[in-house]
Amino acid sequence: MSSPGGAGTERRLAWLRGGELPQTHNARTIAALASNPGCARRALLDAAATRKQDIAEHAGYPVPFGMSPFALSRGVVFERQLKDDPGGLLLALLRETLNLDIAEVGFTDLNDVGGSPDLAVRHARTKAVLTGRPDQRGTLFDHPLLRFRVGGRHAYLEPDLIAFRHDDTFHVVEIKSFAVIDGQADPAKVAAAAIQSAVYVLAMRDLVGDTATVHHESVLICPRDFANTPLATTLDVRKQLGVLERQLSRIAGIDSVLAHVPADVSFSLDADEKGVPQRDPGDLLRDIKRVDANYSPECLASCELCYLCRDEASGSTSVLGKSVREELGGIESVPRALKLARGDDPLPVPEDLREAAAILRRAASLRRDALAAARAETW
Amino acid sequence: MGEPLDSAEALEERISALRAAVRRAVLDGDADRARALRRDLSHAEQDWDNALDAQAARAQPGSLEPAPERDDDQSPAERQPRGEPRGGTLLPLREQVHEALSLLQVPAAPRLIATVHEAFYATSFPTARLTSLRRDEERSFKTAPFARPYYICAALAADFLSPSRGLLAISTWPMERRIIGSLSPRVDFLVAAINVAQAIEQIPQPVPAARALLARFAANVRGSSSANSAGRPSGRIEPRSVIRAAQAELAVHQDEDHAARAEAARRAREQLDEPEQLFGAASFRRAATADKLAGER
Amino acid sequence: MTTLTSLAKVEAIALDRAQLIRTVRHVHVSPRPLIFVPLQLAGEACAPLAAMVGDDRDHERLLIAYEPRDRTERFRFAAGLGEVILGYVDGYAAGDPGEGVPYPDAPQVWVPNAGGMKFAELLGRSTRFRRTEGPHPVPASVPLLGRWVTYLAERAQHPLSSLFLSATQALTAHWATGQSATEDQNLATLLAWIAPPPGQTGAQAALLAENPARCPPAGPVTDPDFDRDVLEGLIKAIVAARQSGDAAARERAQALMARELHSVLKPTWDLMWQAVDLLRSLPPGDHVAERWKTDRFSFTGYVRYLQEGGVPQARRDAAVDAARRLARLENEAQQLAAHMAYDDPLVMAEYRMTGDAFAGPVVRAEPDRLDETGKRARLRPWITVETTDDVLAELGADLRSPARPAQQARVIEVERAGERTRVTIELQSGMGRKLVPEPGSVPGLGDVVCYTTFKAEFQPPPKFPDREDTPWTHGGPPPEYVPRDEEAAEEWE
Ligand code: SF4
Repeated sequence: MSSPGGAGTERRLAWLRGGELPQTHNARTIAALASNPGCARRALLDAAATRKQDIAEHAGYPVPFGMSPFALSRGVVFERQLKDDPGGLLLALLRETLNLDIAEVGFTDLNDVGGSPDLAVRHARTKAVLTGRPDQRGTLFDHPLLRFRVGGRHAYLEPDLIAFRHDDTFHVVEIKSFAVIDGQADPAKVAAAAIQSAVYVLAMRDLVGDTATVHHESVLICPRDFANTPLATTLDVRKQLGVLERQLSRIAGIDSVLAHVPADVSFSLDADEKGVPQRDPGDLLRDIKRVDANYSPECLASCELCYLCRDEASGSTSVLGKSVREELGGIESVPRALKLARGDDPLPVPEDLREAAAILRRAASLRRDALAAARAETW
Repeated sequence: MGEPLDSAEALEERISALRAAVRRAVLDGDADRARALRRDLSHAEQDWDNALDAQAARAQPGSLEPAPERDDDQSPAERQPRGEPRGGTLLPLREQVHEALSLLQVPAAPRLIATVHEAFYATSFPTARLTSLRRDEERSFKTAPFARPYYICAALAADFLSPSRGLLAISTWPMERRIIGSLSPRVDFLVAAINVAQAIEQIPQPVPAARALLARFAANVRGSSSANSAGRPSGRIEPRSVIRAAQAELAVHQDEDHAARAEAARRAREQLDEPEQLFGAASFRRAATADKLAGER
Repeated sequence: MTTLTSLAKVEAIALDRAQLIRTVRHVHVSPRPLIFVPLQLAGEACAPLAAMVGDDRDHERLLIAYEPRDRTERFRFAAGLGEVILGYVDGYAAGDPGEGVPYPDAPQVWVPNAGGMKFAELLGRSTRFRRTEGPHPVPASVPLLGRWVTYLAERAQHPLSSLFLSATQALTAHWATGQSATEDQNLATLLAWIAPPPGQTGAQAALLAENPARCPPAGPVTDPDFDRDVLEGLIKAIVAARQSGDAAARERAQALMARELHSVLKPTWDLMWQAVDLLRSLPPGDHVAERWKTDRFSFTGYVRYLQEGGVPQARRDAAVDAARRLARLENEAQQLAAHMAYDDPLVMAEYRMTGDAFAGPVVRAEPDRLDETGKRARLRPWITVETTDDVLAELGADLRSPARPAQQARVIEVERAGERTRVTIELQSGMGRKLVPEPGSVPGLGDVVCYTTFKAEFQPPPKFPDREDTPWTHGGPPPEYVPRDEEAAEEWE
């Protein structure tokens, strides 16, 4: 038995990956992972840092998770407007929002470590700078490279920016290009930004340890109304921090997930030198299905394997969504729910389903009655 | 004939968008997209290199590269790349950049350079063009060092002496001015604000673009106009009050910034060769950095 | 989601197509609705790209902003859209109906989905403050479009209103599919479940419809692949042609763009009319016309307001307005729920599930029973209903029946015996003036009847302080809304 995250684990994960380079995490993928903590399949695919999209595609379930070039360039333009001149607009915005002192103007670009693309080097530099002696610390830090522990392993993360305030408190700053119109923004987008901020807050707390505190209020910078003028708002992410910590604690350590997975399961695509997958798609699909999933319609927005898992889950009430399943008394199978509703199951109803069965039968008979009444127009 | 130039510009915009996209795709863990984007990127870069060579040879008077076949009965002024100002001055791009930087007196990003030139010299140019300008300058310097009175060069990040992202500077400036320490972005912003305000004071009838530029500075310097908030200036802006407010804040940062810059400049002069002093330490020395990091911990 | 709807979803899977969850239609469907399918540029707050719009299924109008990031183009687009929508609305506002009388009919606009509604709201927000003179003049149709679209978007928040409908919302209110609520937001897959092509199951049809290459998204955001492979190049070509002054090249590129946009909008256009047809094929609920009359009144009121030079809607509600509005909406939601239950046995069944209503045969009837305890004898028939429903109503509770909504009834006795419950009810009105009931006014022995504790009549919303009396906790009296110059000049980048 190897230690958690130890060489044995790494070896198995590398085998699952099949010689491909590991993929990095980001706040979005961690937030998505946390949104379905009960899914061993995703936990494993993520821990092994596989190319989920390629895998889904090769197994016969391509996902159109594309991003429009217009959205992409809008994001780039908005961010560049702020970052191009960090001593001007950006600083003034943050001064206003966080009440920075006039002396707090330092700006450090952690993106560039003399041109090294090495993530470990960048992380080391981030750590050195952010935990350095207080008099050496700046105020604004661009592109720190953080690390995040998930499923017992580390993933690298890169927030847009972090602001620092004089009382030894860091704030996470996020630049997003969705508009805030008359003080309101798309709630789904704000929620996504908040949970991503929470991921960064946790990662920052992990990094600075007890040398400083990281505030639960993040700063969100978005375009205001219909123009490109930025607007900074503070975002309290305490709730998201709670949710995230709870969900992350439910993600089983990757060792215990591995313990339930047969040793010969692999997600390798057996790519040739040109990167063309050689593996038999059916074989790949079989291996994927040997790891348990936990499909719900939320997967459609967050996981590359969604079409595969949805197809696999057909015939189950989980494809209809959590609230439907609850209304059906938690019954999992569609045919079974129907049988119970019609009361034509010759076998006795098990004890734990009696109440659910009674409700379904009642619903079915009411539905029948009402449809009959409508046809007869008796009411 | 203007075709390859226009497409070089388009390519630059495309390249920078693609770079950003690749970066995002990688961070998003979206391997598929990243791979496709990288392929597009390398094609675009290749095309751009080709287009650039042609352009450099054609547009730079005194260039050492062979001139492409073209009608040679044009005056130098007419040899401007297409898309250059139709009215106003017809200076080569590098000279326009020199004009704008000389006014600002601090390293600046392409967008600011273009805006300043538009405000004070009534001509603008696509900012994407400036990225290639720096490469041209470096190439020209390496081929014939100090053959020109000045070069458009890089600003250097104080810590690693690598070229600071996107900033352009003038080679004849003292090294200290071309170093970017942690306080320098703000200090340079304030210096630029002062210089822009002073320039405007001297013009009897500043064009709207100039006023807009001043307003942009004013909006981000506290106390420079009666009521404003970040990014959103209001009311009429007096150059005098912008200068006063900027100077007041400058006094707070100046000494510390200067010390940091002087120290880094000394290192640069000691450690870097001439091209590196102008265009930044090119290659990353992993061992040195790792040592430095270990030392800081 | 209720148990009955959930059951219908399960049935939809088993029966391979969507199942009705309503027996009648609960929205008004205009004989001449205006279909509006907007598209916007991805990543922008509200950058119109194109729209297919019109009230005749054989004559769709295609409007395009050829350079969606260009301010002038946006206003040109808004002006064009304004002409179509205002032309349609004006058709309903001809003449003066007279004091206190609504116009005979009102406009009805349909968008594909919630995103389309949001788009309309933002379009209204970005155009209604514009002015036709001054530093940034726009055509008169622009601010007017903004006001109308804002008005419609506001009405759409009202549960009782059918002036502005989203097709997916109207359809999912009547059918349950075998897919999740998230997937029901996709008009193409929703209709695939409701009306799968011959030879396909709902699931098969939905799977095909999910492919954006086969069924372009109903907007307002376009398929990212389409953006990358088609749109980006076309827009660039158009910009380049304009900059170089090459009119012919520009025209060519614009024609190409128009063709592409037509091809991604037309399928949704057709689906929209299919949605209208499907809903129209359901018989209307009894209260639908009454609710539509409220819409006609509201429409008439807004036409008059504009004729009298009314200012555009403010950017945000003042505190009291917001509270008042919420209470009104809440009240309307209850009213709609009651209407639907009275009009539709399948909706009533939901209340029977929860014990708020019960139904069954009349097992005993004393139609001629008189109450002689007072000075004068009064007709007070008793009937006893036997039901297998749960009965929550207690002794003395007021009841109503959808069959005789005006008739007051009261619970006299509830007897429970095993699965069955017998409820004895006293009828107190609606039987004529004599001491014998008018024929048909009292349910007879063996009739199946339904009784419930809630009423479908109008209940006045709670009172709120007038504007002047806004408590200081809500910021004191709100200032009267006065449009400001900067709103008219606001950037729309
Ligand atoms: S789509 Fe499949 S693998 Fe992904 S989270 Fe959902 S159930 Fe797990």
